This record gives sequence, structure tokens and C-alpha cells, in this order.
Amino acid sequence: MRHPKSGRGKRRGRGPRIPAAVLRKQQAAAPNVDQVTGAKIPKSFVFSRGKIPSTLRHLQQDLRKVMLPYTALNLKEKKRNNLKDFLNVAGPLGVTHFMILSNPKSLPHLRMAKTPQGPTYTFQIEEYALAADIANSQKRPRCPPGIFKNSPLVVLSGFTGHGEPYKSLVQYFQYMVPAIDPNTVKLSTCQRVLLLKYDKEKGIVDFRHYSIKLQPVGVSRKIRKLMQNNQVPDLRDLKDVSDYMTKAGYGSESEVDDEAATVSLVSDVDKLNRASRKSAVRLQEIGPRMTMRLVKVESGLCSGDVLYPVPVVKGEQTEEETEGQEAEDDESADGSEDEPEDGSQDDTEDE
Amino acid sequence: MAAAGPQAVSAPPSAAAPNPGKRKRSAKGKGGKSKKNKLARSDEPIRRRANKPSAKFLKLLKKRARDYNSDDDEEEGEEGEQQQKRERERPHRRRNDDHDDEEEGDLSEDDEDEAASSSGDEAGGGGGGVTRFEEGCRAFRVAFQKIMSKKLPDDPLGPILSAHKKLVAAKLAEEVEERKPKGEARKEKRAAAEKGHVLPKEHLETHDKELIKIATQGVVRLFNAVSKAQKPRNDLNPSSTRDAKGILCSSFLCYFWISRYRVAKIEASKSDASHYKAVIHYINLLLHIMHAGKDEDEPGWAPLRDTYMLGSKLKDWDKMKDTAVESEQTKAPLGDSSDEE
Repeated sequence: MRHPKSGRGKRRGRGPRIPAAVLRKQQAAAPNVDQVTGAKIPKSFVFSRGKIPSTLRHLQQDLRKVMLPYTALNLKEKKRNNLKDFLNVAGPLGVTHFMILSNPKSLPHLRMAKTPQGPTYTFQIEEYALAADIANSQKRPRCPPGIFKNSPLVVLSGFTGHGEPYKSLVQYFQYMVPAIDPNTVKLSTCQRVLLLKYDKEKGIVDFRHYSIKLQPVGVSRKIRKLMQNNQVPDLRDLKDVSDYMTKAGYGSESEVDDEAATVSLVSDVDKLNRASRKSAVRLQEIGPRMTMRLVKVESGLCSGDVLYPVPVVKGEQTEEETEGQEAEDDESADGSEDEPEDGSQDDTEDE
Repeated sequence: MAAAGPQAVSAPPSAAAPNPGKRKRSAKGKGGKSKKNKLARSDEPIRRRANKPSAKFLKLLKKRARDYNSDDDEEEGEEGEQQQKRERERPHRRRNDDHDDEEEGDLSEDDEDEAASSSGDEAGGGGGGVTRFEEGCRAFRVAFQKIMSKKLPDDPLGPILSAHKKLVAAKLAEEVEERKPKGEARKEKRAAAEKGHVLPKEHLETHDKELIKIATQGVVRLFNAVSKAQKPRNDLNPSSTRDAKGILCSSFLCYFWISRYRVAKIEASKSDASHYKAVIHYINLLLHIMHAGKDEDEPGWAPLRDTYMLGSKLKDWDKMKDTAVESEQTKAPLGDSSDEE
């Protein structure tokens, strides 16, 4: 009889006890749906398979930041975790998208998949730069932590009119982040853009990540700074207050506001950008930056039928198909030529 | 060894010894005789050692040491044979010496004399070790001669370290060669790990500028769509009752403050508490700020006007004793209501 009593006493200190299953359900259910629009919120996991070098690990972390806030920023994967483990967790947590980094034969690959059914798009990352690299290359990197509180806008370009794999890819990218309802969205929550542009000639997809900065049009830099900094300006060298405004500041004011980049705001975004005023949209890259090539599309989650490139079935193909296939084969042949070398390098690494 | 050949052939008849094994051994060769004997003997102790590493073995070792220091032939114990052998050896050695002289040419005469005298001593029945010494002496002489005849380069470090220096140099070269592939392997490994990692350039490339332009267009389009979708709310016509509802929500705060203002005014008029005067002033300011954005002096919507819902009675109330408040109210255009008329 004593034991339950003591147990109850201990529990009392901790507060109400909620069964783990219920708790999990609540956690999973609460943020699954947008509270304003009622739309389902897509969530993502970004993780890696196999051994990847440290730069790719940084890239993985950057990608997680891109996918914020509906992603697991500190997701830890172990060597023994397989895809099924992630899939099992994804269900109850409402995770709908996987981004899987891997480095087979020293060629970095990014697989984007929808759970639990697929499809899976496999990209080969031809070039990439980390967010840190981009910040280093900029004179004034701008990356306030507040911009990661809302998911990015996704801007797609050049995907239309290129047939099947890209058609579905557009859908995939669109549903990767919560849909935006123009009637209810607050402009102050739009602080990042994810640009995905398909280059037909090179066959590559450019992946860029920018921060949005709004600047009031027709307001001089000094006033802007005065409003932003909330500090008393340094007037020591001036004879009159008006000098502060009239005195020319840095000559490099880029006042070349093209009309295309100005918007008239409907609601106050911040102190500077008030409603019913014109503001210029400025983008600054925050990274990561990737140049990817679509190599494979599978119907399932990292499995299933290969939808792209169209598998060769002997005897059934027409001439056009063979031509296209040959071109692709050439590409893949190039890749395979590179692979053995890399494979041998890998072997030496292991030794 | 051309001289040794006939010697060996001639030896067997002279050495008509009772022991055939020994004869055979002696017949085998003269130059490395002692060595071969030793080798043949050394086989046995090894076998023994495996069984009994004991005092016996130590004794044997001692014996071997003694053998090494002295002549081998003593062991045989047969004086006669020894003598024969020495006699045999002597001319052979002589001939050998001659041979050496011919070859090297610069052996001194004294050396030869010495050798001759030593052999003479030997012949006189001296200790067996002398032969050995003579042999060693000759070897040493030859070696020394060789060393001295070497032409050395003028090196401040001297000739002694020359070999060592070479070794060191060779070793260093080897290490460098070893390090090279190591470094290359590491480089390759890093290159493999960094494959595809491209550092962005300081200036924006045209390609990136284009991308930024595209993204900007996308953002602008979205913002415009948003403003289009949300605009009607701000274009409400305050005069129409339907739009008034919308304004009511947005300017609820304004309404709230107006009501507070009126209450405060009434209170202030009742008792001349300076506290209420301060409140009135504050609210006046607030309302002024909130309406600063609008150009009109009076808001178009009725509830926002200060005369709204104010009956004539109320106005009279204010007029009765509102001289003190007047000064403040004149400052604020919104607070004029009571003093109008």
C-alpha cells in the first residue's frame, strides 16, 4: 500500500501527468494545421545517409535552416538508423518531406522525397556554397535570426513547359512550404525567398536563398538610419540640426530604384515601411547556394519504378526516344567514368 | 686462386694421413681453411644447446673462444700433420704474397721481409698463433693501403663523416619521396571531400544578378497580389454603414480612448482634481497622434467625432465650469468639442 502512495507523492511535484501517447498525439496534432487558413502544414526532415564529409554536414545544417520553422533543426541520425526509422517517426510527427543528403562515390547527392509514398527526386549537387561562405563573401552580411521564424516564400522559375518530371517537381516544391493565402498573410512574415530556377540549356536547377529587405522609397539614408537605430545621432560636428539632413552622406547611395522592385504595402511591415507607402524590395543572399542536376525520379520513397530517366526497354522504343536516351546515356557514362576514380580514392581513404 | 689449384692437387699425396676425413677437409681449400673448420664445428653445439644448455655448453663456448684465438690445427693434436701442413702452407703463402705484390705493386719491401721472417719463425717451430697474426696483419695492411690510396675531396667536414653524410642524404631523400605521395593522397582526399564546394566570389556575377532579379520579381508579384487581396479593407468609405463595421474593428482602440476621454472630462468638471486634467491631456495627445496620419481635422465617421452622442445637456454641463480645462483643450483639436458653440 505504501508504494503507490509514495509514487503519487513524487508525481504530484511534477505536475499533471499526461500519458505519453496522448502527449505525442497533441504535439503532433497541434501544429499540423495552419491556424488561420486551416491548410495542412508540410514538415520536413533533413538528414544524411552514409558517411558525408564535414562540408556536406554544414550544408545539411544550412538546408535545415532554410526549411525552418517546420523542420527538425537538431535532428540526430545514427549510423544504424535506416530509412524506415525515419519513416516510422515521420508518420506521427506529421513530417511530409524528406531531404536526404548522401555522398556516393564522392559525388554529393540530394534526394527530395515525399513521405510516405514518394516520389523521390534525386539531384546531383554539382556546385554548392555554404551560408557561411556567402556571408564571408559579402561586405555586410544580413541574417537576423528573426527571419527564420517564418517559412520562406518559394519562387519557381523556368520549370513550366518541360514535360513530366518537372511538372511534378513544381508541385513538390510548391507544397514543400506552407501555402500562402494572399487574403490573410501578413507581409511582415515574408522575410525569406527560396528561388528555384530551372535552366533548360544546361539542365540544371539553381537553388538560392535570399532575405527580403523592404526599404521605403524616397526616404534618404540618414532618416532611414535614424528610424532604424533608435539612437541619438552624432551631431557634434554640425552647426545646425538641418545640416544633418542636408549634408551629403556617402556618395554610394544606390538610389537606382527600378520601378519593378517597388511595391505599395497594404499593412505596416515595420516602423519604416508603413501602410500605403511605396517600398523597394531588396534581396540579399543568405545561402546556401546549390547548383543541382536532376538525375533520377523514383515513384516510391527511394525505391519503386524509375520514372526519369525513362528506362530503356529494348524493342519498344522509337527513334526519338533512343536519341534522347543516348544523350542521357552519354551523361551517365561520363558520370560512371568519374566514379571508378572516385571509388578508388574512397578505398584509399578507408585504408 | 690459380696458384692454389695445383697446390691442392699436390697436397693429397703428401698428406697421407690416417684420418681420411681430415685429409678431405684439408684438401678442400687452403685460403678459408680455418673458417670452414669453425663452421663445421659450430653446427654441433647448436644441436646440443637445444637439449642441454648447461655447464657443458659453457665449456664448449670457452673452447671455441680458445680456438678462435689460436690455430685450429692444434685441436687435431697431431704434430706431424701440423708440420706437414705448415710446410705446405708456407710456399703457398709465399706465392700468394708474390701474387699480391704483383697485383698491388705498392706493397713495401719491409712488409715482405717481415712476412718472410715470421714464416721463418714458424718454420723454427714457433707458436701456431703467429701464422694467424701474419695473415691478419696482411689483411689489415691491404685494407689500410686501400683506405689511404683513396682520393678524398677537400671537405671541411673531413673524410670520416662522408659515408654517414651520404646515408643521411639518402635517408632524407627517401623521406621526401615518401612524404610526397602521402601529401598527395591527403590532397586528393580533401579534394574528394570538397567536391562541388565552390566559394562564392566577392562581386556578384551576372548569373546571380539575374537570379536575384527573378526572385525580386516573384516577391513583388506576391506582394502585389497580397495588396490586391487585402486592399479593399483600407479603401472603406466611412460614410457607408457597411464599411463602418470594418473601421470599427480597426479603430477600436481609438474608440476606447475617446470614451475614456469623455469620462475623464466629466470627472474633471465635477471636481477640480488635477489628476483628471492630466489624463485628459494625455488622451488628447494620444488621439492626436493616432489621427495624425489623416489629413482631415475631423474623422469622417461619426463616432470618431467628438460631438458624437453628446447631447446638448452634456455640453451645457461642461460649459458651466470648464475654464481651467479650456487652456489645455485649445491645444488639442480633438478636445474642442465641449467648447464649440
